[in-house]
Amino acid sequence: MTSRGTPSRFLQSVLQNGVGRYVCQMKRISLIFSKNGQSSLGAREFIEEGVVDFAQKNPGTVVYVSPQSCRIPKIVAEYLNGNVKEEAITSKTSQQIAELITKLTNQSGLDIIRIRKPIHTDSPSIQGQWHPFTNRPLSIGPIGPQKQQAN
Amino acid sequence: MSSFTKSAQQWATFARSWYLIDARMQPPGKIATMCAIRLQGKHKPIYHALSDVGDHVVVMNSRHIAFSGNKWEQKMYSSHTQVHSSSIFLFFLQIVKLAVYGMLPRNLSRRTMMQRLHLFPEDDLPEDILLNLTEELPQPREIPRRLNEYSQEEREAFPTLWTP
Repeated sequence: MTSRGTPSRFLQSVLQNGVGRYVCQMKRISLIFSKNGQSSLGAREFIEEGVVDFAQKNPGTVVYVSPQSCRIPKIVAEYLNGNVKEEAITSKTSQQIAELITKLTNQSGLDIIRIRKPIHTDSPSIQGQWHPFTNRPLSIGPIGPQKQQAN
Repeated sequence: MSSFTKSAQQWATFARSWYLIDARMQPPGKIATMCAIRLQGKHKPIYHALSDVGDHVVVMNSRHIAFSGNKWEQKMYSSHTQVHSSSIFLFFLQIVKLAVYGMLPRNLSRRTMMQRLHLFPEDDLPEDILLNLTEELPQPREIPRRLNEYSQEEREAFPTLWTP
């Protein structure tokens, strides 16, 4: 599809995150995997070794680990603005799952669609944006044909 | 200015102004250049050819334009539409109109810009146009005074080489 047919947004940050304190935008991450299944092998290894360290490093994010009987293991990441992102981790190694999880942690929850401009500013003009009356000499009285007195 | 909302700032920046030019005793070519600049919007820092940022220009006293030299006899203006030669007012208006038309860029916005040019033969302007005007532009040519317009003291104070 063309960029006119697909949605697009302007570059923005969530409430100027990072100007003061940085707040991790991912609020919840759920690991759904099956206890016996070849596709969830990487997920099970990650849970054995890496998930506890991850949870300790990100105290603002809640980590759910739910073993279910499912064919496709998934990671479901929920963000503070309500967006939910699901990623399938079938037949991924533990290393790949760890990288994927760090990628999801560093994202803000904004949609991944075309960004119209790579720039954004809250103060687009320092000296004041031009309007027709900047640098215009003052005029007294109504504009129009004046009654002239012939000398 | 920073306290304006974004929409109010946009309205302010892209507003279309109305200018007034008095063409009494002025060369129509100089009047036409001033008009053409403002009709295109080239006097604005936000100018772009595709953006339609031109302003309105009202020319009054276009009956009293003054050509220098022998241009009244020599200069030719041509147009595909005919003007009836017995209507003098339309003839003078046509001079300024053709001069401005020739100075505008040769594209489709030229007709739109010409619609924003308002020509009047004398200085009685309609009420609604008078209400719209924002600025009167200074005249390009300083009008010289006739001898009878000088006072007796000025005539005597003028330096003479010798008394005849």
